[in-house]
Amino acid sequence: MRMFDRYLHTVITEGAVQAQRHGSATVEAHHLLLAVAAQEGTAPQRVLASAGLDHGAVRAALDREFDHSLSTVGVSLPSLGLPLPGTALERPPSMGATGRLALDRGFASAPRKKDLRPAHVLLGILRAEVGTVPRALALAGVDRTDLLARVQTVIENGDLG
Amino acid sequence: MPASDIPVPQDPADALAAVVALRRLADQLEDASVERAMRAGWSWPQVAEALGVTRQAVHRKHAKRLIAAGVTLRRRSP
Repeated sequence: MRMFDRYLHTVITEGAVQAQRHGSATVEAHHLLLAVAAQEGTAPQRVLASAGLDHGAVRAALDREFDHSLSTVGVSLPSLGLPLPGTALERPPSMGATGRLALDRGFASAPRKKDLRPAHVLLGILRAEVGTVPRALALAGVDRTDLLARVQTVIENGDLG
Repeated sequence: MPASDIPVPQDPADALAAVVALRRLADQLEDASVERAMRAGWSWPQVAEALGVTRQAVHRKHAKRLIAAGVTLRRRSP
């Protein structure tokens, strides 16, 4: 299996694990971002870490976005004391609309299929201008445009990992 | 609460994100609440009626997860 295909498979599988952990029936873009941030030793993970986004920081940013979005309609989470749901869903999570969009954008950003690199997956996730991921990044004080430029540089420099 | 009384955030991005967050919260609350009810000895028909959904729907959505979580499920209502 090609390196890119192996990476993509890992990210989608890990994204499904993240979705399941959140009690989500679908794999969304932010689950893929968590999965990308968890792949130690890969170029996309290093780019995220260089912007202060290790796996824990991505998780914290997403939690903050969730809390913030609820707070705009007067709902506050800690008061509910919600226990984490169990992890086994009836069927494994399927690719959700935002997850699909992120992957499609990533694939479309390479001139040819054989030019696809792991960093294209992150590029596709970061290209979203609205939704959970850009909101979480903004709340964490991360400049998404700068991050996109860094990913682009990694791709142009031919970083294979 | 009439729809006009719902506090809609001024920023459309905030308002739409609130919808996403509330759906996710409702899903998590449903998972946690069904589990709590079943652990407290509620039956599937009771949980289904309380949620306003069919027994089949609630069973399909939660049975596997609850069995995996080690919850003893009751077969019949009292």
